Amino acid sequence: MTVVGAALVPGMPHLLAAEPAPSWKLLADAARQAGQDLRAAGPDAFVVLSTQWFTVLGHQFQVDPNPRGGHVDENWYAYDYGTLDYDLRVDVELAEAWACQAEDMGFQARRTRYDGFPVDTGTVVAGKLVDPDRSRPIALVSCNLYAAAGDLGRIAEAAALAAGKLGRRVAFVAVSGLSSGLIQRWIEPAEDRFEDAGHDAWNRRVLDLLAAGRTDEVLALREEYAREAQADSQLRALAFLAGSGACDRPARVLEYGPVWGTGAAVVTWLDG
Amino acid sequence: MSRVFHITVGDRRRPPQTAPVPTGAPAAELGPGGGDERGPGIVAGFLAPHPPHLIYAENPPQNQPRSRGGWELLRWAYQEARRRLRERHRPDVIVVHAPHWITMVGHHVNCVPNPRGLSVEPIFPHLLRYRYDFRTDVELATAIADCAADAGLVTRKLTNPGVRVDYATIGALHLLNPDWDIPVVSLSANNNPYFYSDADLEQMERLGAATRRAVEETGRRAVLAGSNSLSHLHWDREPDLPEDMAAEHPYDDHQYRWDMDLLTLVRAGRTRELRAFLPRHIEATAAEVKAGSLSWLLSALGWPEIPGDVLGYGTIIGTGNAVIEWDPANPARAHPAPPGWAPGPDDADRPRPMTGARS
Ligand SMILES: [Fe+2]
Repeated sequence: MTVVGAALVPGMPHLLAAEPAPSWKLLADAARQAGQDLRAAGPDAFVVLSTQWFTVLGHQFQVDPNPRGGHVDENWYAYDYGTLDYDLRVDVELAEAWACQAEDMGFQARRTRYDGFPVDTGTVVAGKLVDPDRSRPIALVSCNLYAAAGDLGRIAEAAALAAGKLGRRVAFVAVSGLSSGLIQRWIEPAEDRFEDAGHDAWNRRVLDLLAAGRTDEVLALREEYAREAQADSQLRALAFLAGSGACDRPARVLEYGPVWGTGAAVVTWLDG
Repeated sequence: MSRVFHITVGDRRRPPQTAPVPTGAPAAELGPGGGDERGPGIVAGFLAPHPPHLIYAENPPQNQPRSRGGWELLRWAYQEARRRLRERHRPDVIVVHAPHWITMVGHHVNCVPNPRGLSVEPIFPHLLRYRYDFRTDVELATAIADCAADAGLVTRKLTNPGVRVDYATIGALHLLNPDWDIPVVSLSANNNPYFYSDADLEQMERLGAATRRAVEETGRRAVLAGSNSLSHLHWDREPDLPEDMAAEHPYDDHQYRWDMDLLTLVRAGRTRELRAFLPRHIEATAAEVKAGSLSWLLSALGWPEIPGDVLGYGTIIGTGNAVIEWDPANPARAHPAPPGWAPGPDDADRPRPMTGARS
């Protein structure tokens, strides 16, 4: 089996705070657990999409074998969790094969390999939680906001095909929030909560459907969810994960809670 | 490498400027060098779009990629803007509001004295890998943040030099002043990047008023740059050669006509109507002015009922872009709209924004 499982994890840096809100800590612990569970399924590599690396032209594939450096988040720079170091291990062979497969399927695949390229906060945060020891290399693609959401599903399909050709076993990770309405003021961690009950209700509805294995229903609700609860990138992350083929079963919702008022959840799709 | 200016900022306090010159008022007297004799205050505002293609096409030494040019009409418009900035406006400072320093909580002001570094643009890394090195007018930056907070806005002063400067800020500032020899204040756009929501334009207007107050209180002679494109649906793939101008044209006729209606209001000096038209234009074309830079700019200028001078219009990957100058003391000639004309094309077949644009 090429695809061993999938996970949805939040990319907000608050999960790495030295003094986290209760929900941030629970979410971080859950993301660590999700990583442990995915690794236990035996992948050779992680295939990663982060909605915080959003692009608008073509699909960008990271082909730098070792992006590394410091990243200061342009929103959260004043907090301890706003300054991040990263040192990524990219499976260039898989990324290149993935890009070629995407091209064969008619997509524009752009290779990204530039000194000083700013890796996004979500990719860094998820990496530190899901695979803190960098035990597996990763293959990264951007989230094209101007492409149809279904295209991201096909891009994931391309990753699975490419991995299959290389004999790689892979786990898919999408780094994304749920509702994205932030509390519009500076708060203390203890003050974090959902200020919009409607957003909270929508998030719960979506998670319940995923837990019931009704992935297609959630995909059909994406646009409405985006309108009603400002879903992060119109929940393209789920379209991506579904394209891997891993979401054809009930999901396990490990945690759900607010991060600065946004909805965040850790969800896995694994056998057993 | 960019040159760093050598003027000491904050040493040229002047009494505050009075209210903007109303429509039809005599033009300010031009000095011997063509510069006008106005004192401090906001002397002009530019709509200054920033697509990285324009810097890429100029091949400046600060940018690593090399091009064969392209998008000349817009770049020539910027040449004229530069001439006016240098010869007529002669500002102490350029204040820029840019939509790609997206801050999800609050309005941020860059208070780092000397931002410098390499800005590799995550969306267009093949076009923009720009080494920047400029000076901030920290006194004015601080004053803008304070005035904005006084006006009830959530604010933050950026003092961490590690934050990469975004391509919209770099784009507008480079194109207006490639020598970087005028101090800068850079403002973020309080937006949500993950949902196609619009900025709160009322807040942007308040930020504009606060900017004006801060400029007057610090006695600066300022030029403002609102760094927005107009219509904003565009291709989701790129020609093999980015500067292949055979591939460059409006995304569709719908977007083009809405942009022309906006520019018709600008050229006619119907600014109050423009203010009411902006939300319609945003709704119809996913216009980048939804990020609030134009509302901030015109609010800071006091929504003057004077014509803007459209120095150029062109498309970039299908989006509409105009370089426009508003000069309250020397308003452009008015170009009235035809009798009976009303803004807002009547097109029932308009595409739905953000549903998978295709070239
Ligand atoms: Fe832009």
